[in-house]
Amino acid sequence: MNSIRVRVLLALLGMLAVTALVMGGLTYRNVLTETEALFDYQLRQMALSLRDQGEIAAEQAHTLNDEQLDFVVQIWTADGRIIYPPRLRSDLPTRALLGFADIAVQGKTWRTFSVATGERVIQVAQPLQVRQQLAADAALRSIVPLFVIAPVLVLMLWWLAARALAPLQRLTDGVRARDEQSLQPLPMDGLPDEVEPLVGALNGLLQRLGTSLGAQRAFVADAAHELRSPLTALKLQMQLLMRAPDDAAREEAARALTAGIERAARLVEQLLTLARAEPGAPAAPHTRVELGELVRGAVADTVPLAHARGTALALTVDAPAAVQGDAAALGALVRNLADNAVRYAPRGSRVELKVFDDAGVPTLQVDDAGPGIAPADRERVFDRFYRHAAGDEPGTGLGLAIVRSVAERHGATVTLGDSPLGGLRVSVRFGGHAASA
Amino acid sequence: MRLLLVEDDRMIGEGLRSALRLDGHAVDWVRDVASAQATLASERFDLVLLDLGLPATAAPGAETQPSGGLAVLRELRARQDAAPVIVLTARDGPGDKVAGLDAGADDYLVKPFDLDELGARIRAVMRRHSGRVQSALQVGGVTLDPATRQVTHDGVPVLLSAREFALLEALMQRPGALLSRAQLEDKLYGWGEEIESNAVSVYIHQLRRKLGADFIQNMRGVGYFVGAAPKAPVDHAPPPKPAP
Repeated sequence: MNSIRVRVLLALLGMLAVTALVMGGLTYRNVLTETEALFDYQLRQMALSLRDQGEIAAEQAHTLNDEQLDFVVQIWTADGRIIYPPRLRSDLPTRALLGFADIAVQGKTWRTFSVATGERVIQVAQPLQVRQQLAADAALRSIVPLFVIAPVLVLMLWWLAARALAPLQRLTDGVRARDEQSLQPLPMDGLPDEVEPLVGALNGLLQRLGTSLGAQRAFVADAAHELRSPLTALKLQMQLLMRAPDDAAREEAARALTAGIERAARLVEQLLTLARAEPGAPAAPHTRVELGELVRGAVADTVPLAHARGTALALTVDAPAAVQGDAAALGALVRNLADNAVRYAPRGSRVELKVFDDAGVPTLQVDDAGPGIAPADRERVFDRFYRHAAGDEPGTGLGLAIVRSVAERHGATVTLGDSPLGGLRVSVRFGGHAASA
Repeated sequence: MRLLLVEDDRMIGEGLRSALRLDGHAVDWVRDVASAQATLASERFDLVLLDLGLPATAAPGAETQPSGGLAVLRELRARQDAAPVIVLTARDGPGDKVAGLDAGADDYLVKPFDLDELGARIRAVMRRHSGRVQSALQVGGVTLDPATRQVTHDGVPVLLSAREFALLEALMQRPGALLSRAQLEDKLYGWGEEIESNAVSVYIHQLRRKLGADFIQNMRGVGYFVGAAPKAPVDHAPPPKPAP
């Protein structure tokens, strides 16, 4: 039972019941007090009117003896002899106390008022029970409307609650009707102020989900598309191997096939690295990483390629610089920068990597003598699968995308510029995330 | 046949060139839009294999454009050049196929493809292009089937080398048409392949030995032909003799 409607209704019903009881009780008490006063007034007026009468006439006596009349009148002489009624009733108070008094006779309580005049004492009595009965009836009648109105109120409340909660119901239907494809924002018009922030927050979430889903979809589509080229090459190379007419051709085809497999493997590896570095991927624990050591280790993987191309790789570590980060991801960043530099630089040229402390900011700088990147393209080259014209060393188009993703996860900035070597200079500044030495 | 391969991916290009050469075709290979347009403007090809995603130029830094190949195709057709074109692409959406075919492609092949299928499509496109119904070519008693690569002479199979086959196919595709020595060399050798000076004469000699001395006829100083003598008189060719 967690319905707002039912809870509100139950609470209101409880409050209504308590209100009815309290009001009933108070009314009963008030009506009782007021009728008491009224009855007392009547008693007194009756007694006083009898006092001024002198003798009680026969017809009057008859009236006073009416069975319907609750009042019982008794008149005594000053010396205590009863004058009226002619026959003494045993169930009546026999003594007269002047003024108001409650007198119990044979288990029945009477309310009396007695007044003395010269030679007579007049007492008017009324059974207390009758008075209380009348008062209770009056009190009850005054609270009965409350019990008639209560069910009507309940029905109205039920209807009001349904009306007030209708926007929530509409919202529920709207959300329920959606599938994972429909992430457009929920309508905000006509919503109560209390629900609007919820829908606003939901819409914000939907938008972020849509963006993230779109990015994922684009990534998968791009990846599948990019895998086609290496697979096409592999298929061709495989068929060529099978068709090779002689040993020399077979050897050549096998060599091409091996290169094709290496290329496909490299693309898959780069895709995995990028997927791990993309926003939203679970983050690896950050540790203190000595930048110089990290670069030295990562560059070692590029040495064979540099060697094959006759390119000189130079690493300078000016000052020990430490950063806080994920060593594996940072290694991928360095490897991709070094790899790119060697791939795009002319054969036999020089690639320089430098680690230094730039006014407290650990910085990695990679210079090459390649074609560089035109200032207009320096933003776009970070897009994944953005690729330069086909060179002899085809890249995967993912290197700089990986570099940027890893840098962003480490609060580092990557800038591209012109190198004194004639090619591209890439600077990675680990601002704000420097580890305390 | 002389083919132009337009493909920016080095591995795919090398693989395709090797495979097509194995089939006896002369293959020229360019890797960007500008080179493709320049080549197509200056030389004639029997068929063009065109990748759609191409960089605009060979300059470093040029970005690969998804529809670079379409630009090549549109320019080719705008010049009224009817050379058969088979589009090769990694994009397999119906929109891409429609765009490629509407831009003037004769056929469409999605990567990764099978070499056998590529060969069959090349033959089908060539057949349609020359207005033939049957795949096999027949002139006199000689039948050449491009699909099975079988040649028969009076029903007897004849064994030919890839170059001999290519030369014979070139001649038999247009019976009666004169093909100069240079034109035949074009069908046999792609760029960068070393052409032996008397290669055409050598292959013609071998073909005559295998198919009969008078199957391939020679118009001295002009070129070679098979079948009936050329109908259209060539400048310095003698007028055709009236049929006996």
